[in-house]
Amino acid sequence: MNWKRGIGSGMAAGIVWGFAAMAVNAITGVFPVEHDLLHNITAFTTGGAIFGIVTGGLLTLIHDSLPFRTFISNAVLITTSIWLILRIGGFLLSSVKPVRYHADLPATIQGFILAILMGGILGIVCQIWQKSEPA
Amino acid sequence: MELIIKRERDLLKTLWLSLFVMGVAFSMVVVVYGHDAFHDFRHVIGMPCH
Repeated sequence: MNWKRGIGSGMAAGIVWGFAAMAVNAITGVFPVEHDLLHNITAFTTGGAIFGIVTGGLLTLIHDSLPFRTFISNAVLITTSIWLILRIGGFLLSSVKPVRYHADLPATIQGFILAILMGGILGIVCQIWQKSEPA
Repeated sequence: MELIIKRERDLLKTLWLSLFVMGVAFSMVVVVYGHDAFHDFRHVIGMPCH
């Protein structure tokens, strides 16, 4: 896949995922948000776009060497791997600074599910863009 | 000759893409680990936070 489209797909998927993450958290009530809705729309879409660009860019770079055949499976593999790497980093930070970085199990489970959701959205967007590409 | 130029161009493109992804990945680490703007975002995606 074209790398510009990979990054574009990632950004689009990330923005959609940002809204989805807000909706999922509103339904589960795992974390009572502290900022207002307008602030969180900006933060979640920005954070989602950054996450999307990284995952979309990586998917473009290493798609051929990934084990699965479909975009969705490979995208889920990448998003969950990145989430796990970041979570392990968070675990290390918790060990060093437990007061500042304290873990929350329900939020961790929600985060992992959201990472899978991000992979699903990214895979679907990539598949749509791939189909629309001229052969 | 043209094939070599095309290969170099592809390699350069991959290099730029790698640098770009690394730059954005760094931004992601800043966002994920951090009363900052991304506080709620970090909690919701399951990262440890204050």
